[in-house]
Amino acid sequence: MEHSVTYLGLIPLFPLMGAVLIGLLHVFTCNRRKLPEMLYGLLACVGPVLSFIMALKIFFALKGMPADERFLSQVAFTWFSVGDLHINMGFLADPLSSLMLLFVTLIGSLIHIYSIGYMKGDKNFGKFFSYLNLFLGSMLILVLGDSPVVMFVGWEGVGLCSYLLISFYSDGTDNVLAGNKAFIVNRVGDLGFVLGMSFLFWGIGSHGFDYMSLKANVHHLAPGVALATCLLLFVGATGKSAQIPLYVWLPDAMAGPTPVSALIHAATMVTAGVYMVARFSFLYAHVELAGTIVAWVGILTALLAAIFGMFQEDIKKVLAYSTVSQLGYMFAGVGVAAYSAGIFHVFTHAFFKALLFLGAGSVICALHHEQNIWKMGGLKKKMPKTYITMLIGALALSGCPPFSGFFSKDEILYSALASGHFGIWAVGVLVAGMTAYYTFRMMFVVFHGEPRDQHAYDHAQESPAVMTVPLIILAVGALFAGFLNLPAIFGGDQMVSHWLAPSVTEHHPHTGLFVEIIAIGASVVAFLIGIKAAYSRFGKGAEEPNFSGFADFAYHKFYVDELYDAVIVQPYKRVGAAIWKTIEPNVTDAPVKSVSTLYMLLGSAFKILQVGYVRVYAIYMIIGLSVMSLFLSQTLN
Amino acid sequence: MIHSYLYLSIILFCLGVVGVISRRNVFTVFMSIELMLNSANLAFIAFSRVHESMDGHVLAMMVMAVAAAEAALALAVVILLHKHKSKLDTNVFSLLKG
Amino acid sequence: MFADGLFMLFAVLAVLGAAGLVLFRHPMNGAMSFVITLISLAGLYALLSAKLIFALQLIVYAGAIMSLIVFIIMFLNIQPEDLPKEEGKLLNILGALIIVAPIGYFLVKIVNRLPNATTELLGNNFGGVKPVGLLLFKDWLVPFEIVSILLLVSLMGALLLAGKKKEVSK
Repeated sequence: MEHSVTYLGLIPLFPLMGAVLIGLLHVFTCNRRKLPEMLYGLLACVGPVLSFIMALKIFFALKGMPADERFLSQVAFTWFSVGDLHINMGFLADPLSSLMLLFVTLIGSLIHIYSIGYMKGDKNFGKFFSYLNLFLGSMLILVLGDSPVVMFVGWEGVGLCSYLLISFYSDGTDNVLAGNKAFIVNRVGDLGFVLGMSFLFWGIGSHGFDYMSLKANVHHLAPGVALATCLLLFVGATGKSAQIPLYVWLPDAMAGPTPVSALIHAATMVTAGVYMVARFSFLYAHVELAGTIVAWVGILTALLAAIFGMFQEDIKKVLAYSTVSQLGYMFAGVGVAAYSAGIFHVFTHAFFKALLFLGAGSVICALHHEQNIWKMGGLKKKMPKTYITMLIGALALSGCPPFSGFFSKDEILYSALASGHFGIWAVGVLVAGMTAYYTFRMMFVVFHGEPRDQHAYDHAQESPAVMTVPLIILAVGALFAGFLNLPAIFGGDQMVSHWLAPSVTEHHPHTGLFVEIIAIGASVVAFLIGIKAAYSRFGKGAEEPNFSGFADFAYHKFYVDELYDAVIVQPYKRVGAAIWKTIEPNVTDAPVKSVSTLYMLLGSAFKILQVGYVRVYAIYMIIGLSVMSLFLSQTLN
Repeated sequence: MIHSYLYLSIILFCLGVVGVISRRNVFTVFMSIELMLNSANLAFIAFSRVHESMDGHVLAMMVMAVAAAEAALALAVVILLHKHKSKLDTNVFSLLKG
Repeated sequence: MFADGLFMLFAVLAVLGAAGLVLFRHPMNGAMSFVITLISLAGLYALLSAKLIFALQLIVYAGAIMSLIVFIIMFLNIQPEDLPKEEGKLLNILGALIIVAPIGYFLVKIVNRLPNATTELLGNNFGGVKPVGLLLFKDWLVPFEIVSILLLVSLMGALLLAGKKKEVSK
């Protein structure tokens, strides 16, 4: 049953048009008198807001349909057609993508509005908004694409934009290097994605390469090919969503402006990997082993990132590792085939992580771009709105009932326990406690206690309304988003799970009330222990600790970056240098150069004939005629 | 007999070619070209006589018109050459030398 | 018999004139001997019953074009030192003859393969003004017009090349 509509393509088109328009305006005016910032700001916000309105329209259109017919599609044009491969530039809106659309456009719009305040006075104001719009447009293509290939377009688009935005302050070498790192690490993941896509096409692509056809034909896939496809696609997801072993780019990505961090961490980019796994749920459901691997990689990433997060001193890096950690939860969720739980965590995480980042941005802005938490302190009194909203975000992140994070995280842990993955559940509970610890460590150090830098404290003041209003809206979301998927034990009806049911292939294990209570109880206890530990160490004010032993090891992130550098980057550079210095001049260049030398020699030999006198050219011609005549007169008799 | 006319035409043509490739005086070269055109005309008229049709005559007239046009242009070039270089040598132009 | 004698006379004169053109050092001498060739050719056209072409050869070629050339030669007031010094001119001509010989040989061979035909004078107004003119303006109208355009273009080209004194005298 096909429901064809013509307005799906508009959703990515609005931000993309905004990007082109703002980009052109910026290019044509950046060397002359600047246009007013408000113009750029308004132009930039129009696209996302229109997309949000369209997303709402789609959501209600889908809601009006019977549950098993809920999808809309649009084929804009045939993109290319090679052999068996027919790729349409097609868009698909089903419950899964419509949910993604809703929060991506909503949070994207809020971040755009917030950025008007945050980027005030930046000399590349227009460029920033052009990239931001392009980022959102790419993400919307990724979400709406009706085949892996169209998704890949958006996939690459967000990779490109993250590179552009992370190295946005391009006058610092570190920022540019961070952008490069994000881009190159993502390339590794993208290779996995492309290979996975190729395997998929090789296996069942000849019956059509959009999700519907793939889903219908997935049982034709040989088990080995299916496993390889799943793992290769997951490599792509680890790149984009910062999982082991490709998580290293995300903390460095903090070099970009804070709204960009919020956009990367909340609405776009990192959620792409989870979305992709959920999108291919029919495939992962087909291969149980792949799901288990995904889940274990996810939960181990969560553990690792939580350990790192406990020792960071940069407020944004704490949040960055918390994102990696939460992404680990999401993968654990989709890995144990609880796709709706994973996507629901993406949904709630988008709210509270955007909130925390924007709040952190507000603090950073107030302290004139100071990011070290050991230079802050006591900001509670100076920035009450930021404090309260961030507190809500922190509680949601730590999984305090009844904030949104609690419900989504609990859903994942419960699914892990119920499906018999006891180890994953245990690690997950441990990580939940650590999450509470490092989140409130940050909150206590930044907002409580005595100011550590009196001068900066005196100049700090609350951010303008254009920044605080998005914070408040997000805080409301972080507070109440969890109730959308209230589990039965609290008298809810799991709206989100039911909504997503037609899109994802999952089965809900039925366990007793006892298991559910154990899951919830363990989460709450872990949260309480974590927050108690944080309060006892940092609640009354604390000085910057000197790390030693394991803490020092964790502070340096287990030296993973250095390990990668020594094992991969340096040998690669050496190989490159060797090729450049020996193989290139001797093997590849030599034939080319000798060909050119040969022609030079031939040319100088024939140059003698070119005497320049017209008469001599006539002689050449006549000689030619003579020779021809001699030859031809032999043929006559 | 018609062969005699054609032999004469060949002789004149060859003399024209010899003039073009052996002499350096622009006037001589130019008039040698005219000589070649005339030898062609003679062949046209001879064949016209053989076939007793007058198309060859018309073609000869065309050749004369082309020769006239050529004369006008070539003499203009010769005047220019003489003004610039005060020489009538075809060898003063050697810009194509490699 | 009379016609054959005339042919021999004109043919020898034409070849001599052409040889003179190639051999004379001063272009004026060359031009004069070339005029002899042209007039002899006019006689040969007459022997071939081409009455109109005979007249045109005399009027247009020997008359107009050659007088133009002679006029230009006199106009330039050529001194012997202006002429190119052509050392080894005879050797050059000899070499050129050797180069050209195969072409002539080839052409002669072709002519030999053609059937020989008589050149008796034709009556019936063959080659007269009226039949040639009719042919020219009926069957050859488009080439005729194109040739007229060619003449116009060459006229303008000649004006452009030789006309502007200011630019030329730089």
